[in-house]
Amino acid sequence: MKVIKAIYNFIVGDMIILIGVVITALLLALIDAVNVLAPLRAISGVILIVAVLAVLTATLMREAMGKR
Amino acid sequence: MQWAVLTAAFLASAVEFVEAFTIVLVVGVTINWRSALAGAFAAAATLALIVATLGVALVRYVPIDILRLAVGIILILFGLKWLKKAILRYSGLKALHDEEAIFEETRAELRARGENIAPRFEPFGVALSYKAVLLEGLEVAFIVITFGSSSATSTCNTTCGIGSAAIGAAIAGILVILAGAIIKAPLTKIPENTLKFIVGVMLTSFGTFWGGEGFGISWPFSDAFIPVLIVIYLLASFILVMLLRQSKQRRIAEANVDQPAVTTPEQEVLH
Repeated sequence: MKVIKAIYNFIVGDMIILIGVVITALLLALIDAVNVLAPLRAISGVILIVAVLAVLTATLMREAMGKR
Repeated sequence: MQWAVLTAAFLASAVEFVEAFTIVLVVGVTINWRSALAGAFAAAATLALIVATLGVALVRYVPIDILRLAVGIILILFGLKWLKKAILRYSGLKALHDEEAIFEETRAELRARGENIAPRFEPFGVALSYKAVLLEGLEVAFIVITFGSSSATSTCNTTCGIGSAAIGAAIAGILVILAGAIIKAPLTKIPENTLKFIVGVMLTSFGTFWGGEGFGISWPFSDAFIPVLIVIYLLASFILVMLLRQSKQRRIAEANVDQPAVTTPEQEVLH
């Protein structure tokens, strides 16, 4: 458990960032693998950029709210 | 010698070397050079081992897309972590502090007392530098092997083609390292939080680019899209800093309004 926590703290140390990036990766993997979602492949890059910005905004908002 | 292959390999490799060197440079300037160089040399050794073992078969056996995806996701995680801290510091929600200055101060104190401290290895810096150099180094190896082997002609066989491409890549590597050594000194004068902010933006941009490529995204203008990503993340970060600053000022103003004004008896008499 200590090892997992150490790795988590070393790589990211923030649950919102970790979960956000994992969900984004899963979403992009789905878009890449599932044929029904093929029309979305053209905007995969935009989805990735928007998702990264959304994750950053979410974690910053949580910090800002926490300071209240 | 095939000049066309040499030139093509030089140009393509230069782009990859610049990408790897950017990360080694920012790790060196923000964390320390010992960690940055340790990571870079370890990656070069790993790369040499992989190339020596697999040789031309490297192109067939190393899944570059999976490697790009893994490195990309880890870089996004690292990048967002740094960017978050730097934005919080700029917006005043987190105290600005200079870890390097504290380290230098401690080292100066110890030196003054005639003691020596062991040089620090930061695992974070070593890992970042290692991953970037390994990934980009593999890409250079791919370029050399694919350009070299596909350009075999009657006058120049595969070995000759790979040799020409390797010379082109080596020249690119030397030139990028020389250029980096020149800009290293001015970079050390930038404040710590600014550098961490820049590093955060760079890591997130490179991570988005490589991660996207791993998912099969073909970015417009290929590698030239990286500066576009940097601009997008820089602009977004500036907007976030402004929003957080405004939110902080609003809260301070609200707190001041909520607090009853304390007046002294003298002020009451004046009123």
